[in-house]
Amino acid sequence: MKIRTLKSVTTWMLATVFAFGAMFQQAYAAPQTMVTTEQLMQEMQVADQRASVNNFLSRADVQAQLAARGVDAADAQARVNAMSQAELAALSAQIDELPAGEGLLETVLFLLVIFMLLDIAGVTDIFPGL
Amino acid sequence: MSMRSGTRLRVPFLLFLAFLLVACAATPQSQQLLSRPSDQLPEGVELVDVPFFPQELYQCGPAALATILQYNQVAVQPDELVSHVYIPSRQGSLQVEMLAATRTFERIPYVIPGTLTAIINELDAGNPVLVFQNLGLSVLPQWHYAVVVGFDPEQQELILRSGTVREHRVALPVFERTWQRAEHWAYVALTPGDLPASAEVSDYFMAVADFQRLHPELSGAAWQAGYQQWPDQAVIAMGYSNWLYQQGDLARAASVLEQLLSIQPDYQPAQQNLSAIRNEMQS
Repeated sequence: MKIRTLKSVTTWMLATVFAFGAMFQQAYAAPQTMVTTEQLMQEMQVADQRASVNNFLSRADVQAQLAARGVDAADAQARVNAMSQAELAALSAQIDELPAGEGLLETVLFLLVIFMLLDIAGVTDIFPGL
Repeated sequence: MSMRSGTRLRVPFLLFLAFLLVACAATPQSQQLLSRPSDQLPEGVELVDVPFFPQELYQCGPAALATILQYNQVAVQPDELVSHVYIPSRQGSLQVEMLAATRTFERIPYVIPGTLTAIINELDAGNPVLVFQNLGLSVLPQWHYAVVVGFDPEQQELILRSGTVREHRVALPVFERTWQRAEHWAYVALTPGDLPASAEVSDYFMAVADFQRLHPELSGAAWQAGYQQWPDQAVIAMGYSNWLYQQGDLARAASVLEQLLSIQPDYQPAQQNLSAIRNEMQS
């Protein structure tokens, strides 16, 4: 089962890469069509091996993920619309693993003591006064 | 009495732990920078006019974002940014969304190289730098956004707008440790037409192309600035030419490509676009 899933994912990814390849060739071969900035972008991304699959990600999918985490539906749509393909891919793959900057401490007293010492030692920077 | 002896035992143990961690966390960049003779250090700089918004609970993201946007003449308050970057169930803001929201407010987010020198160079160019930090430890992360506004070579400190402190001064090695734990992530918000100090061709191209999708009408100034900086770089010339073409300025779109082909005669996408534009001009 696992192997089969893996295989189908691999096949899908390969198909995507080939589809991209075919797309560029077509674009360059057809004499009177323009090479667009989007095509150049995709080409650079493929060259970087960044986000080669991401063009098939739907914005609606990431939008739903944001909404499921408490973001207002209309806001989620606007937020997703402002994202680049690479950003969409990053978010979609790891929305719960990516670090979220919050900047305030929720720790028990014992940890506070450790952090104060570490702050004094210059390792951490949680208490701006120290 | 028994409590006291417990404390006595604990404190040296914690100090020992702290020293171990200090020993682990090397700060190569600060060392490299500060080992220079003092007359070869970068000059001091402080962007004193950068506004300050003391952050509310969990909302360093909106506060830091408002800080750089307002400095770039975008009239927006942290409260208005909450609906753009804050994720309630995560009680925080993701880096990706900080970049996207910058774009929404008509500024180009440009992620700079992860070096202290790059930060200082941006400050010199007048760009406050939004940084991501882990103020805690890798195992007990305390993720945080702040804005670097100055560098003080005498005190060997960076000056930040951070949390509830308007002028948070941090020793370079301390900053480096907190920044290193957040993979040295930092970006500047550019008004279209401005180049970052650390401008690099392909990163700039991607930044402008991503921006263009959302604001085609505003991206012309950014392409033009890039083209002035790197007239012989194919992707920049192509981006600029395509933008001119979309605006209906076929003559200038063609002349940018002709210029590029005079330097790189074999660059096929430019040949193809030029011939398409010429066809269209004749018909």
